[in-house]
Amino acid sequence: MSPGPAAALLAAAGAAALLADRLAAVAAIALVLLAVCLRAPSGHRSVYLFGALSAALGVLVLSPFLWSSPEGTVLWEGPTLPVLGPLDVTTAELHAAALSALRLAALGLAFAAYALLLDHDRLVAAAGLARRSALAVALATRLTPSLERDAVGLADAVRGRGVPLAGARGYATLLSPLVAGSLERAATLAEAMEARGFGRGRATRAPRPPWSRRDRLALPLAAALVLAGALWL
Amino acid sequence: MALARVEAVTYGYPGAPPALEDVSLELEAGEVVALLGASGSGKSTLLRVLSGLVPHFHGGRFAGRAVVAGLDTRRTRPADLAGTVASVFQDPEDQIVMTVVANEIAFGLENLGVAPGEIWSRVELALEAVDAIHLWGRRTAELSGGELQRVSLASALALEPRLLLLDEPTSQLDPDAAALFLDAVERLGTTVVLSEQRVGRALELATRVLFLEGGRLRLDAPRAEALAWLACERPAYTSACVGTTQAPFVPCNGAGGVGARVGTTQALLVRLADISFAFRPALPVLEGAGLEVRRGEVVVLSGPNGSGKTTLARIAAGLLEPEAGSVERGGTATYLAQDAGRYLVRETVLDEVALGVGGDRFRGRAALDRVGLAWAAARHPRDLSSGERERLALAAVAVSEPDLLILDEPTRGLDPPRKAELAAWLAAYAAAGHGVLVVTHDADFPADRRVVLGAAEASLAL
Repeated sequence: MSPGPAAALLAAAGAAALLADRLAAVAAIALVLLAVCLRAPSGHRSVYLFGALSAALGVLVLSPFLWSSPEGTVLWEGPTLPVLGPLDVTTAELHAAALSALRLAALGLAFAAYALLLDHDRLVAAAGLARRSALAVALATRLTPSLERDAVGLADAVRGRGVPLAGARGYATLLSPLVAGSLERAATLAEAMEARGFGRGRATRAPRPPWSRRDRLALPLAAALVLAGALWL
Repeated sequence: MALARVEAVTYGYPGAPPALEDVSLELEAGEVVALLGASGSGKSTLLRVLSGLVPHFHGGRFAGRAVVAGLDTRRTRPADLAGTVASVFQDPEDQIVMTVVANEIAFGLENLGVAPGEIWSRVELALEAVDAIHLWGRRTAELSGGELQRVSLASALALEPRLLLLDEPTSQLDPDAAALFLDAVERLGTTVVLSEQRVGRALELATRVLFLEGGRLRLDAPRAEALAWLACERPAYTSACVGTTQAPFVPCNGAGGVGARVGTTQALLVRLADISFAFRPALPVLEGAGLEVRRGEVVVLSGPNGSGKTTLARIAAGLLEPEAGSVERGGTATYLAQDAGRYLVRETVLDEVALGVGGDRFRGRAALDRVGLAWAAARHPRDLSSGERERLALAAVAVSEPDLLILDEPTRGLDPPRKAELAAWLAAYAAAGHGVLVVTHDADFPADRRVVLGAAEASLAL
C-alpha cells in the first residue's frame, strides 16, 4: 500500500480510538495496531513498543489514584492526602483508567506503525505544498533510532571508563549530553541539506508509482473508521 | 580561466580565532587536489569556503573573496551553488536525509529542479559510477559505514558538479572499501579537492597538493614537487604514504619500541576463547572468536567492516556478555568507543576527564596535560574541534591508568604525526606494565601482535 493512504488509515485508527467510548472497541483497535507493528523487524520495533506500552501501563496504574469518581464500587480505600484527596480505587476509576490507557496505547502504536513500516520518503514526496513540514516530520521520526543509538553510545562511554551507571538517576545524567548531541547532529544535517540545494526554490519531484485500487479504497475507509469511532464504538 | 579562485581569505568562526589566514589559491578544471594538514589546520574550513557554507551557514568573520565558476560565494547562497559544487562530509550518517537509497540520491536532484523524467536515470548513473547499483532500494538505516560513504558520493555525483569537495570521506572505511571509494573518485574526471588523513592513496591520486598549517597555506605544488617538500619538511606524511603499500609505520620512540619487550610469561590481562555473540538470533556477529592480551604488549585487532571487531572489544572490556565461550580477566579495563568525541557527558573538559577517577581534578589535569589539552580544561567539551575531542576522550579513558586499555578506531581522523605520537604513547604505556588492545583498520599501526577477524570467525596471527 502507498504510504499516503496507509498514513491516513493509521491516523484514522488513532482518531477512532480517541473518539470511541467502549472499552472493547478501543482494545480491538489497539490490538489491530499492535498486530500491524509486529510486522516490523524485531530489532527495530522493540523501542517503539516499549515506549507505547509502558506509557499506557503507567496511565493504567497511576490514574485511579490521581482521578476520583464517586460512581462504582469501592475496591480499595486508602488515606486522604492533601491536594490529591482520597486515595481510594473504584470500579469506575479502573474502567476510566483502562480506557485512557488503551487510547494512549492505540495512539502510540499508530505512531510506531507509521515510524516502522511506512516509506517516509514517499510521504514527503506526496506532501505537495507542505513538503518542508513533511520532511521535518520524517526527519524527526528518524531521530528516534538515532537517539537510541546515541543513548547506548553515551552509556557505553561512561561504563567504558569504569564508572558504574545504574538506576534512573544515573541514566538521567545522560539526558543533557543526549539532547546536545541531537542538536549537533541536526545542525550538521542542516548544513549537508543546504549544500545539496535544499531551500533553493523551484524543486521538482521524481515520478512515483500511481495509487492502486487498494490505495484509493483506503481513504473512504479511513473516513468511515473515524465516523464509526465517533458514532457507534 | 580558473574554475575556482580564493583570494586572500581570512576567516574565523564566531567567537574563535581565525581558522584560515590569508589563503589564496586557484583550482583549474579537471585537477585532483589533495588537501593535507593536521587536525584543526583549517582543511574543512577551506572546503566550506569553496562550497559557500562559510560564511553563510556558520557566520563568523570573513575577509577576502572566493569565486567558484564565476559566482562570488559571499553573494551566492550555498543552496544556489549546489550543482556547481558538491560536498561529501566526513560522517556519512549525519548527511543522510531520506530513508531509501534511491530517494536519497534523488533528493539533491529534486532540490535543483531537474526535470522529473531525468531524475531516476541520473540516480542510476550515479549509483553505477560508485559501483553501488545493488543498493538502489535499500534502507539507508541498514547500510554499513562504507556503503553510506558510497551513497553520499553518489548523491554528490548525481548533481554533476564541476567541483567536488571530499572531506575525509574514507575515515570510516576498512582499507579495501577505502581503496574502492578512491578508485571511484579517480574515474570521475571532474575537479576534486580531497581532504584525507590516509595520505598514501590521496597522494597517488592527486595532481597537485595543498598543505595547510595553523590556517595558513604552507604548500601549493604539483605532486612530485610536493612529495619532495613533504619528505623534507613533514616526513611523517611521506612515511605514511609509503607505508600504505609496503614499508612499516614510523618506528616508535620512547621507552621500549613495540616488538621489543613481549614475553609469553607476562601476566594475562584478558583471554577470550570460542566467543559467540549475536544481536539477533539469526544474525551471528561472532562465532568461535578468540583473543588474548598480556601485560607489556600492544595487540591490534583488525578485520573488514562488519567482522565483529567492536563487539569482541566490548566483550573484552566487560561491556557485553558473550552467548558462548569463556572470558578470563586479570585486571581492570577501560574502553574508548568508536567516534568517542561524540559521546562526551560533562560540562567542562576537566570534569569530563576527572569522571573516570571519581572527580579527582589533580589526576584529571595530569591526563589533560599528557594529551596536550591542559589549555582547554575550563572549556565545554563540545567547543573543541573533532580532533581535540578524540584526544579528550582518550584522556578520559586513560586517566585511571587501567591494566588494559582498549581503543576502538583511535586513529580515525588523526593526521600522521598525531598517529605516530599515539603509537609511541601506547607503546610506552604497555612498556610500563599495562596492556593495550587497539581495534583499527590501519594496517600499519605498530603492534606486538595482530589478531585478524574474518567475516564469521576469528583467526589468530602471532
